[in-house]
Amino acid sequence: MDEPDSSPTAQEAPIPTGTPLSPGGTPPAPVRVEVRGLTKSFGTVRAVSDLGFTVEPGAVTGFLGPNGAGKTTTLRMVLGLETPDAGTATFAGTPYAALREPVRTVGAVLETAFHPARSGRDHLRVYCRAAGLPVSRADEGLAQVGLADAGRRRAGGYSLGMRQRLALATALLGDPAVLVLDEPANGLDPEGIQWLRGFLRHLAHEQGRTVLVSSHLLAEIEQTVDRIVIVGAGRLVREGSIDELRAGADGGTSVLVRTPETARLGELLRAAGNAVTEVDGALTVSGTTAAEIGHRAFTAGIELHELHPQRSGLEEIYFQLTAGTEQFAAGAPQGGQP
Amino acid sequence: MIGLVRAEWVKLFTTRVWIGLLLGACALVGGLTALLTGLAGQAGGNGQQGLPPVTDQQFQQVALSQITNATVFVVILGIIGVTQEYRHRTATPTFLTTPKRWRIVLAKLIAYLIVGIPFAAVATAVNLAVLEIYARARGAAPSLDGDNLRVIAGAGTAVVIYAVIGVGVGALLRNQVGAIVAALVYLYVAEPVIAAIGPIQSAYKWLPGGALRAMTTDFGAPDVLQPWQGGLLLLGYGLLAAVLGTLFTVRRDIT
Repeated sequence: MDEPDSSPTAQEAPIPTGTPLSPGGTPPAPVRVEVRGLTKSFGTVRAVSDLGFTVEPGAVTGFLGPNGAGKTTTLRMVLGLETPDAGTATFAGTPYAALREPVRTVGAVLETAFHPARSGRDHLRVYCRAAGLPVSRADEGLAQVGLADAGRRRAGGYSLGMRQRLALATALLGDPAVLVLDEPANGLDPEGIQWLRGFLRHLAHEQGRTVLVSSHLLAEIEQTVDRIVIVGAGRLVREGSIDELRAGADGGTSVLVRTPETARLGELLRAAGNAVTEVDGALTVSGTTAAEIGHRAFTAGIELHELHPQRSGLEEIYFQLTAGTEQFAAGAPQGGQP
Repeated sequence: MIGLVRAEWVKLFTTRVWIGLLLGACALVGGLTALLTGLAGQAGGNGQQGLPPVTDQQFQQVALSQITNATVFVVILGIIGVTQEYRHRTATPTFLTTPKRWRIVLAKLIAYLIVGIPFAAVATAVNLAVLEIYARARGAAPSLDGDNLRVIAGAGTAVVIYAVIGVGVGALLRNQVGAIVAALVYLYVAEPVIAAIGPIQSAYKWLPGGALRAMTTDFGAPDVLQPWQGGLLLLGYGLLAAVLGTLFTVRRDIT
């Protein structure tokens, strides 16, 4: 009945940093999320296939995959909004729909939609009432995400970034042990993204909460996450810590070396059993470490101008891992990616 | 459950939809009551029998049953109460907060049933006020006793039950505009057509509209049930809408 207010939005409130949750109390007990064999088809399109992974407490886990990989569908099944054809998802052993206190266990930001005529504060009041929380949590929630000054304005006039933060406040109302965020960086300005990173890491590392963040851009979450679950075409591609992932990908590590005596050093290193390639007057050496190369050069009296260990870019690994899974996104209806 | 019902009231009263619908109900009830009072005792066109005069019991019952014009507004109120969750995509946080979905539907049914009561009361007050002033000026205001009271009670009850039906229809159809249009077409086209066409007229008494007429006055209506039968039938429609709406909500994905 009410159309969104299209008027330009006012200045966003400054973002408080390091806002603690659980005011006056201890963080909730850690909850592990386990997903086993999730499968879902829309018509003839298989959106999610036998997908299983674990989200550990005390860490930020990235849920990564190209658009249309089934991330949103997976999250909606995990949260009981969509019914899987097969498989289970549990929070400390209990499916979402059977949780005794869902808002105290899990907070989720899946979409940032509000009734445009309702103020941000009223929006939060609704869910305080529904969850049996004191209505004072609405004001605390607004303060927590830096929306205290905008709380009484119509949500229809909020900027995308403010909507993201109101959605986050909604998810945090119950002080949950698990936080699930679907593409949270959408619409946030760089400052907001930086704040969110610090906030999520604080929740996971300092307070032992379980944080799951989905994204289709690795660069967006690379600095935030400890563990990564990569999906492609609805299947699990890889799961593990970022370091495990780096080690598991092709290429491994190599060392870039610059020296005036390219030929001599190259010969020396080849003789030691290393693979050496020469590009633009520099040597790329794999199968050894920078220290080893430096030592050999020193004992042979070879002058070095640069000695630089190179990690295979995570972005490259991600691309390798999901290569070939994008066709799904191009041709078929997507699993609810907005 | 009390918290969920109160959450529904916060949702309702933090937007202004209810004001418009309440004013609409007042205008339609008041307007049609005044119109009928003005036409009372005048001969119909083409030599047809017109409305009885204001002092006639039959006229009074027809005039009092104008309260039921509020039903369309409470149906829309109930429809919007459910469909706005899908329209503005707040269904996601709503069902995340309360994953046992039947509890949400039940909370909405209770919340809108209770909100239907003041709607019925206001519609009744407007109706009685118009009759008290206008009908008294033209002869006599209806006495509030006997069958007249039964008509008022039946009309008010019907208004409340229609709010429940609205919630059920909203839960079944989910699409706000589609559900409202469907409800309007049904109430203002389908039911009158069925009531007017001879061979299928007998079905009318089994429809919600027929039940409504049975609960108020059968003046000018085709064959209808006894008042208590009509009340039970309408209650049955309310329960049917509630049960179907709950089943659909529980089974379908929230997308």
